[in-house]
Amino acid sequence: MNTFSAFLEYSAVGIAAGGIYALIALGIVVIFKSSRTFNFAMGEMMMLSAYFFYTAAVTFSLGIFLGVVVAIVGSIAVALLIERLALRPMMGRPFIAIVMVTFGIGSIIRGIVGMIWGPNDLQIPAILARTPVMLGDIFIPGKTARAFAIAVVIVGGLIAFLRYSRAGIALRAAAADQITAYSMGIDVRRVIAFTWIIAAITGCISGILMANVNTLTPHLGLVALNVLSVVILGGMNSIGGVLVAGFIIGWLESVTGWMLGTEFREITPYILVLLLLLVRPTGLFGTKEIERI
Amino acid sequence: MAAALEIKDLAVVYQGAIHALTNLSLNVPAGTIVTLLGANGAGKSTTLKAISGFLPLEDGRVTHGSITIGGQDMLKLAPHMIVRRGVFHVREGRHVFAEMTVEENLIASTFAQRKPRPRKEAFDEVYNYFPILSQRRHQAAGYLSGGEQQMLAIGRALVADPEMILLDEPSLGLAPLIVKDIFEIIARINREKKVSMLLVEQNAVIALRYASYGYVIENGSTVLEGSTQDLSANQDIQKFYLGVDASDAA
Repeated sequence: MNTFSAFLEYSAVGIAAGGIYALIALGIVVIFKSSRTFNFAMGEMMMLSAYFFYTAAVTFSLGIFLGVVVAIVGSIAVALLIERLALRPMMGRPFIAIVMVTFGIGSIIRGIVGMIWGPNDLQIPAILARTPVMLGDIFIPGKTARAFAIAVVIVGGLIAFLRYSRAGIALRAAAADQITAYSMGIDVRRVIAFTWIIAAITGCISGILMANVNTLTPHLGLVALNVLSVVILGGMNSIGGVLVAGFIIGWLESVTGWMLGTEFREITPYILVLLLLLVRPTGLFGTKEIERI
Repeated sequence: MAAALEIKDLAVVYQGAIHALTNLSLNVPAGTIVTLLGANGAGKSTTLKAISGFLPLEDGRVTHGSITIGGQDMLKLAPHMIVRRGVFHVREGRHVFAEMTVEENLIASTFAQRKPRPRKEAFDEVYNYFPILSQRRHQAAGYLSGGEQQMLAIGRALVADPEMILLDEPSLGLAPLIVKDIFEIIARINREKKVSMLLVEQNAVIALRYASYGYVIENGSTVLEGSTQDLSANQDIQKFYLGVDASDAA
């Protein structure tokens, strides 16, 4: 295999991994948009969802379809509980205090999962076929390709929903100006709870996909730290930006891992983000106000 | 349908310490335009925020008194519920959603509707009063001129089909000709849709022209009230709010 086709192959695999990054990042961005809360517990929420899936599908032998349904319902319940009990009382508090709360929730979830399911790897039922996908000469591992397809469909669907639905408009209104949103009958607290539901869904799907591509351990959530660079690159509050940024980071990790060695995989995204922030402090697609006075 | 507003002995405190209103009473009879005059910091905007329930969002609260609309107590309601009872607050400074299109701004306001009405009917009504918004319906609201943004802010109120509109400084920062246009339309809305209005304005000349009754507040309480005719003839009003020097007149 020549170098160029190797490059294409690593690029394709990277972009495919980026689809899941975009899915996780979307969950972080919608919450950030609505309530300026940066949810560091996102990775643990998605890890917990994968355990819900494992328990329903394997322990209770409900099968894959019901397993996914149970996992989504359970994830939404947990997300709403977190929002109601931990974050709503923090409304109006300093950003850093809220961030620490989400950090704490992440640790608590990791601890509880360790206690219930133990620290060892669990094998979840394969929901993704292994047969590799060939794009011309390019070989993409089957699970990665299928995870990508699912992630992109869900991200695309959610972006369209937030762009064109009435609920999406309410979310953008609440994100832009809470008091004015209230003045137009929009219940901002419900909008925020709604964004936690979206995050629960994207976290759940990405958790199950990740557990399929890798294995299921209490450390599954650590991937969300890589997603941090996706969120910042996309511009924190840009829903469309996460998709592009997810692809860029996924591609970059894969290609630099191949060219420079795996130890560079983790740091190059952050170097890119650092350089970008020097030029564009709002990230690639973060909004600057276009208000005219 | 118009509704009457009644405020009795209202007191408001911000951050538990700053007394913004001490003793304010006023009435807006159904279907009328009533104006609230006063210097900066007298408590005009605070009065509107107390009615629409915004105070808790700005760390303020009502410590005394009552606010009723059509006989219903408004004090315990959350802001999004108050607007759904038919009281729409058009905020000072317009506050259009700059990154959303004109039409998306109007869609956002459909959450304020008491009973759902067909989108087309509601928006056509807005475009009937403000034809320019129809031409710009797919433009980002941030690119509208100041006057057009004010029209959009009032248009969002129309979508809700309210019984009462609270208008906070609709003339702020706008050229005199545009102010006149907008007030003509405000008067039309009041007349044709039988919407009661409580108007806060720095521009006392225009406020006294379009309102039928007025209150003057100072340091958080009402100090003077009367028909706008009487108020316009009042020497103190002329001196302090209309810029007419009594000695010139004499």
